[in-house]
Amino acid sequence: MNTENQDIVIKVENLEKHFGDHKVLKGISTDIDRGEVVVIIGASGSGKSTFLRCLNCLEDPTGGSIIFDGVDIADVSIDINIHRQKMGMVFQQFNLFPHKTVIENMTMAPIKLKGMKKEDANVLAMKLLERVGLADRADSYPSQLSGGQQQRVAIVRALAMEPDVMLFDEPTSALDPEMVGEVLDVMKTLADDGMTMVIVTHEMGFAREVADDVIFIADGIIEEEGTPEEVFDHPKSEKLQSFLSKVL
Amino acid sequence: MNYVSFSTWITTAPAWIAGLPEGLQNFIFQLFQTFVFADRWKLFANGLKITFIVTIGALAIGIVIGLIIAMIRTLYSSYVVTKPPFLLRVFNTFANIYLTVIRGTPMMVQLLIMGFVIIVPKTDTGTILCGIITLGINSGAYVAEIIRSGLMSIPKGQTEAGRSLGFNYIQTMWYIVIPQAIKNILPALGNEMITLLKDTSLVSVIALRDVTKQAQNIQSLTYNALVPYISLAVIYLVIVIVLTRLLAVLEKRLRRSEH
Repeated sequence: MNTENQDIVIKVENLEKHFGDHKVLKGISTDIDRGEVVVIIGASGSGKSTFLRCLNCLEDPTGGSIIFDGVDIADVSIDINIHRQKMGMVFQQFNLFPHKTVIENMTMAPIKLKGMKKEDANVLAMKLLERVGLADRADSYPSQLSGGQQQRVAIVRALAMEPDVMLFDEPTSALDPEMVGEVLDVMKTLADDGMTMVIVTHEMGFAREVADDVIFIADGIIEEEGTPEEVFDHPKSEKLQSFLSKVL
Repeated sequence: MNYVSFSTWITTAPAWIAGLPEGLQNFIFQLFQTFVFADRWKLFANGLKITFIVTIGALAIGIVIGLIIAMIRTLYSSYVVTKPPFLLRVFNTFANIYLTVIRGTPMMVQLLIMGFVIIVPKTDTGTILCGIITLGINSGAYVAEIIRSGLMSIPKGQTEAGRSLGFNYIQTMWYIVIPQAIKNILPALGNEMITLLKDTSLVSVIALRDVTKQAQNIQSLTYNALVPYISLAVIYLVIVIVLTRLLAVLEKRLRRSEH
C-alpha cells in the first residue's frame, strides 16, 4: 500500500495505559493516515477497546504520545475538548441522548460547540439523515427506533461535527444479527467516501472487505499488523493464528 | 383593641346565630376572632408571604448548593483506579464535612446558631435573609444527595458520548446528564420542597413572622388555641396538596420522551 503521499492524521507513539498495577497497553506505536481504514482485532481483554478509547482520551493514557492536529493530545495540559470535536466516536451501546429527538441529538454539538446557526445545523443533519435513510425519523425519540437505526443515528451524530477521523468501538456488537448489515453498509459507504476510520470489531468479513490496515492486538501490544490479506491469509504469529482459528 | 368578649360580639352578630346551639355559637365566635376581628386574616396573609419567600429562596439556594456538592462528589467518585487531582480532593473533603455537619445537627439548632451567633440580623429584611440562608444551607445537604443519586442513575455512556463530541465536563452535565437526571429525581426533589415548606415553620425561633408565628400571635391575642392552630394546619395541608398536584403534572410532562 502506498502511504508516501498521504499525510498522517494520528501518530501514536509508545502508548501505555495502566489501571493501577494492571498494564493494559504496554507500548503501542502506529500511524493512521488520512483516508485510511484501520481495523483493530483481538481477543476480549487484549486492550483493543482501551487503545481506541485512548485515541480521544476517554481513557487518559499513562504514557507515550498521540499526535493529532499537530499537538500531543496525551498531554494532560492541553484542552482535549477542542480536539475531540474533530474525532467522532461511535459506541457499542449507541449512547444516543434519550431526552432529545434524532435531529436534536445531531445538532446539539454543532450549535453549542461550533456556534452553527440552528437552521444550518438542521440542513446539515437532514442531509446526513438522508444518506443513512432515516430522514423520516428526524423528529423521533431514540426509544422509538430499532437498534440498527439508533446506531446509524449515532454515526451521523458524530459526522455532524465534520470530524477528521471516526472511531468505532465495536459498533455492531450490541445489535440483533439482522441489523448488523445496515450499520456495516453505512460504515462501508463512509470508508468509500474517504473518511479516516479506526474500527474495533469482531466482524472479520467486514474487516477483510473494508480495511486498508489490520492491527492485531494481544496482551497490550501490536502482535501483528498488515493488509487484510497478510493478516487473515498469511498470519505469522502463533497468537494470531490461534485467534483466527477461533473466530473464522 | 385586641379582644372582643363573647357577650359584646353576640349582640352585633346576625340574629340567626343566637338560635344555634351554644357550642356552635362559640365556634363561630372563635372563627370571627381569629380571622375577621381587627382584620386578622391579614396576619395570616402576611405570614404566608414570608413562608413562601423563605421557601422559594431556600429552595433556590439549596438547589445551587446541592448541584455543586453533587457534581463534586460524583466527579470524585468517578476516579476509580487513579487518584483524583489535589483540588478535587480538597473540595470533596469540604463537601463531606458540610454534609456531615448539616445532616448531623437539628435544623432548629442551626437556626439558633445562625440567628444569634453567626449572622445576628438587625432588620426585618436581614431576618428574612437569615432564614433563607439557613434553610437553604440546610436543604442543600439533602438536595445534594438527591441530585447525586440522580446523576449516578444516568449510564456512563451518556457522559462519554457527550465528552466524545467535544463537550467539557460541565457542558456534558448541563446539556445531557442533568436534564435526564431531573426526571429521575423529581419525586424526591418534590418531597424535599414539601419538607422545606413545612420546615419554614421553625423560623419563628429567630423572630421571623411566618404564618406559624402569626398563628401563635393570634392565639395569644384571643386566648384560644384550637381555631388558629387547626386553621394553620389546614393552610399547610392545602398548599402541600396543591404542590403535589403541580409536581405530578410536571413529572408527566417531562416523561414525554419515553414512549
